[in-house]
Amino acid sequence: MTSAVAASPARDASSGVPVLQLAAVRAGYGRIDVLHGIDLDLRPGEVFALLGPNGAGKSTTLAVSSGQITPTSGGLFLCGRDVTGVSPDALARAGVCLIPEGRGIFPNLTVAENLRMATYTGRAYHHVLDLAFAQFPRLGERRKQTAGTLSGGEQQMLSMARALATEPAVLLIDELSMGLAPIIVEELYDHVRRIAASGLSILIVEQFAHEILGLADRAGIMLHGRLLHTGPPASIADELADAYLGADHAAPRVDSSQ
Amino acid sequence: MNDENTGAGGTMSSSRLAQFEAEVAKLKVTGGGANPERLGSRWGIGLTIVGFVVAVIAWFSAKDSADVNTILRSEIFAFIGVGIAVVGIVIWVRNSLTRYMRYWIIRLVYEQREQTEQLIQALRDNK
Repeated sequence: MTSAVAASPARDASSGVPVLQLAAVRAGYGRIDVLHGIDLDLRPGEVFALLGPNGAGKSTTLAVSSGQITPTSGGLFLCGRDVTGVSPDALARAGVCLIPEGRGIFPNLTVAENLRMATYTGRAYHHVLDLAFAQFPRLGERRKQTAGTLSGGEQQMLSMARALATEPAVLLIDELSMGLAPIIVEELYDHVRRIAASGLSILIVEQFAHEILGLADRAGIMLHGRLLHTGPPASIADELADAYLGADHAAPRVDSSQ
Repeated sequence: MNDENTGAGGTMSSSRLAQFEAEVAKLKVTGGGANPERLGSRWGIGLTIVGFVVAVIAWFSAKDSADVNTILRSEIFAFIGVGIAVVGIVIWVRNSLTRYMRYWIIRLVYEQREQTEQLIQALRDNK
């Protein structure tokens, strides 16, 4: 890979340069390939929902997008620039932020200490706290509480607050709803809805589609490490049952709206 | 929700997008491999083998010769071979250790998280 700026293969004048793009990405763990040629693009201000059953490769896609896993072939592009192989911390500092599955907080640190971790981008601690508590006032009330003793929903809020305090340009969210009661999930998705309305580009991974399809601009279904269908949420909703039940083994289909 | 390329509120704020593009342009693209430690270990093993082969060839060359100059040349080759082998072993050890430490620290993080969760659960159960 060279340091030269490489043009994105899917650069499209009509839709603008994608903020994030995966081009023919193959990746995995050790000798085991999990992704078998993923093509995905996230446009500025767009919410893209990546759906699929357990083991489909959704989290691996996010790991590649955040630089945690380097593709064995294919490329990761940001704003049209090939950034394959760039370290995850450099991508995070640039503005690509991942909210990992299982919240990814430090359970034995307090809420405020967890938020201090978001100062790696160079933002002042008080600025990070102000941002976080303005969006999640409940965390302000619990700033001295050990994060591990928060409820599941509050832990997820803390994870989101820490991510948003870095003022990311691209937000990657992995299984926000995991292990949470439906009412809490609804509350969290209200937050995501507000974040999306501010114009942030969001790639969100979910196993269950009900909430996420309501707020996504586009969606895609992953199965066995391949992106089978992408398109408007309405069209994806029809395909979901087939994909989950394994009835659809057709060739990958991409909606013309791309 | 957000219709692309629309006005206010519809897309990522243009200043943030421009800032992001500038940050991305500054990134140093190294083209890092999918598993740098594994590649490093292989290079280490390869260099070690090459070094030993050079040293063994030099030894046989010196053994079969009565000419002092040839013996001296072979000796120099043997030293170079041993040097290459030592460098290879160092590279292999360094990469193997990095690999091991990476897994070790991940394991520690997970274990610590697991223990904290168990402790919190125990505290909740005793309430």
